[in-house]
Amino acid sequence: MLKIEGLRKSYDGNEILKGISVDVSKGDVISIIGPSGSGKTTLLRNMTTLEQADGGHIQFADVDKDFQKLSSKDIQTIRRNVGFVFQNYNLFNNKTALQNITEGLIVARKVNKSEAKKIALEALERVGLSDRQNHYPSQLSGGQQQRVGIARAVALNPKVIFFDEPTSALDPELVGEVLKVMRDLAESGTTMVVVTHQMNFARNVSNKVIFMADGHIVEQGSPESIFEHPSEKRTQEFLTDILANV
Amino acid sequence: MSLNTDFMVKVAHTAIQGVPVTLQIVLVALLISLPVGCLFALIRIYRIKGLEQIVKLYVSFVRGTPIIAQILIVYSAFPSLLNMIIGKAAFSINPIYYAYIVFTLNSIATLTEVFRSALQTVDKGQLEAGLMVGMRPRQIFWRIILPQALISALPNITNATLYLMKNSSLAFIMSVKDITAIAKTEAAFNYNFLEAYLVVWVYYLIICYSAEVIFYLLERYFSKYRRSTKKTTYFNWQPFSIKQPNVSAEAELTESGRGDHAQNRRIKKKL
Repeated sequence: MLKIEGLRKSYDGNEILKGISVDVSKGDVISIIGPSGSGKTTLLRNMTTLEQADGGHIQFADVDKDFQKLSSKDIQTIRRNVGFVFQNYNLFNNKTALQNITEGLIVARKVNKSEAKKIALEALERVGLSDRQNHYPSQLSGGQQQRVGIARAVALNPKVIFFDEPTSALDPELVGEVLKVMRDLAESGTTMVVVTHQMNFARNVSNKVIFMADGHIVEQGSPESIFEHPSEKRTQEFLTDILANV
Repeated sequence: MSLNTDFMVKVAHTAIQGVPVTLQIVLVALLISLPVGCLFALIRIYRIKGLEQIVKLYVSFVRGTPIIAQILIVYSAFPSLLNMIIGKAAFSINPIYYAYIVFTLNSIATLTEVFRSALQTVDKGQLEAGLMVGMRPRQIFWRIILPQALISALPNITNATLYLMKNSSLAFIMSVKDITAIAKTEAAFNYNFLEAYLVVWVYYLIICYSAEVIFYLLERYFSKYRRSTKKTTYFNWQPFSIKQPNVSAEAELTESGRGDHAQNRRIKKKL
């Protein structure tokens, strides 16, 4: 459904992504793990056209083109078919939880107001925040903000939802509530691509794990194969390090 | 020394005709310079080639010269310039138009800088979030970024407006009949300078104070979305009292505490 080939990106001559290929099928829950600085977030931002990639090919929705040749219409098509959940939530600060969700529906999708409100309320209920619909982001905890962020992405009914380290900015005791929402989404068949440091999530919820280091995909496969029998030395080192700290 | 109070009352009566003139100058200058200043700020932020340099130069010219010099230059240059174009009629133009020009040019420069800093306080993530829900950059600017920037700009806009009000008193140099000009004329007739100037002083105080209150209310109304975590500073309604209002800053809340904070406050209110 979404196919990326040979994605490259450099900043000031530093190559961050050295030709990444990812294949996402409908219903996939893909976890991308790896040490910091390995390009996980950059990969997500380039796949969703938040940043302009230097090279590579994308095949998604009605688009089948090289990244550099994307027209603004193509970019719009891609963006309208993905949802994005940010590390630091990025809720619209001047809008309530409800308005955060309806904004994209009304302004970008041209859904009429009452319909948008209905969809938004459903999305909020899904993340367990119906009672906070009129709260502004500053009145919500980090975990609640992130759940609104997820609801905002879900409400647009995208083909794929991308999560960029959704729990990294949260206090430890709030991580659970966000992971629970994500787990529910995964179980209901939502296609998800998740950059995460939550190994439990990667291991138990996703059906595919990608291990990245230094701008390459080092290894990918089922959670069992990555966590139980990693074939690459780099993967073993990383897992030993990270599991030692749990 | 005693003050001639009868004279003060008289000056107060005549000088009040100057109040609308002062307000007119301020309003015209503000209404033009707010959008233009915002536009100039955008030119600077997006580094639009050519225009950026012009705006930069313009701002530093205006900020680098005293307003009195600007007034004198505009007041001597424009009439003779117009004289070449439309002839003698140039000299019968109401001088208030020159005041509009000077003060507008002046506050455009101030507000350009105000908007520039305000627009930069809005996190880039807001734009990215907008893009990812499919909004176009222009829609994001009008619906998300500008409203937030305006609110963080409000205190500085208040400041700029107050300076503008006070500076407008210099319009008397261009023989605009504002509060200051009228009082000065009255004073010169009767040699009661102090009384006339005291009246001027009180008028400006009242005008500026009212502006301050209006802006405070605007700020409070528009910043409803950021009220919860910290109490906004309390407006001091009694500027002359020694006792200052109690401003209780609520301690930075922990991440988890913040969520229930709004509710707690409601409960507190009920009790």
